[in-house]
Amino acid sequence: MARARDDTVTDAQLIARCVASDDRHAFAELVRRHQSAVRACLRRLTAGNHALADDLAQDTFVLAWRNLKSFRQEARFSTWLYRIATNCWLGHARKRRERPRCDGDADLADVDSDDADSGGEHTPDATRSASLRIDLERAMRVLSEAERAAIVQCYDNDLSHEEAAYVLGMPVGTVKTHILRAKRKLKVALASWAPEGEGGLA
Amino acid sequence: MSARDAREGDRAGDWLDRALMEGSAERAGTYIDDAGFTATVMAMLPAALAPVNWRKPALLALWGVAVAGLAVTLPPTVLDVTREAVRLFAGRPFALSDIASLVAVFGAATWTATWLAWRRA
Repeated sequence: MARARDDTVTDAQLIARCVASDDRHAFAELVRRHQSAVRACLRRLTAGNHALADDLAQDTFVLAWRNLKSFRQEARFSTWLYRIATNCWLGHARKRRERPRCDGDADLADVDSDDADSGGEHTPDATRSASLRIDLERAMRVLSEAERAAIVQCYDNDLSHEEAAYVLGMPVGTVKTHILRAKRKLKVALASWAPEGEGGLA
Repeated sequence: MSARDAREGDRAGDWLDRALMEGSAERAGTYIDDAGFTATVMAMLPAALAPVNWRKPALLALWGVAVAGLAVTLPPTVLDVTREAVRLFAGRPFALSDIASLVAVFGAATWTATWLAWRRA
């Protein structure tokens, strides 16, 4: 895991260099800094389709380069990238009218092996929570695109509702509604995981 | 208190929230190795436009030649054309019907051109 990063230079300084003098080295540094987060976000949005996620991540950075002059620094650069990435994914989903896949065994195999590796010691609790996470990955596929995007932005990217609204290009109230609906669907899909007494739905 | 903390506080008792947050916390610590990703992106960027140093002076010189040529040739030509036009039109009496048919032809031509342009668009 070699991460050669020049953290003394801020994102804003690198962006300024890109805009002022078409500095591609500065942009390469920006890509290096943010590629992991953007690819991880897209992997979640594409429900674990790593190849598609990487293609969309490449499109995201190319679009970012083309539109860098229009970035007004009203949001963090990473948030702006999430916005572009989410739009790329939504555009792709719209084009293919792609519904959540139910036969993604290959992707789930990835998820399974990742979780198995990350577990370390396998206490009953650790095994239980790892299994829950795998089922959660599967259950995410029943969500609509907007619901999945809202969950990914608020939980995985740790954005506030306001930031998620900026990324998704929708009002804050709509983001909250999507999250509530998504959680209701997830609770139905994962009803067997609900602790006794909670009965799945809150 | 961050937004995440606030959400966490609100939903401390919710098993689904706990599962979602545990999953995201685990993924947050995972760095996806670059493995040539940055190089691929940089290769996909549109090529920079090479500055063409000779283009601007050459264009300026061409414009200069054109303007000088016009300045030399135009005044006598314009004078000749104007003189001939006045001679032609002044020597011939125009009837009202001539003017009306001229306006009609001009109008028809304009409307046809507009219609064709609109259809093509």
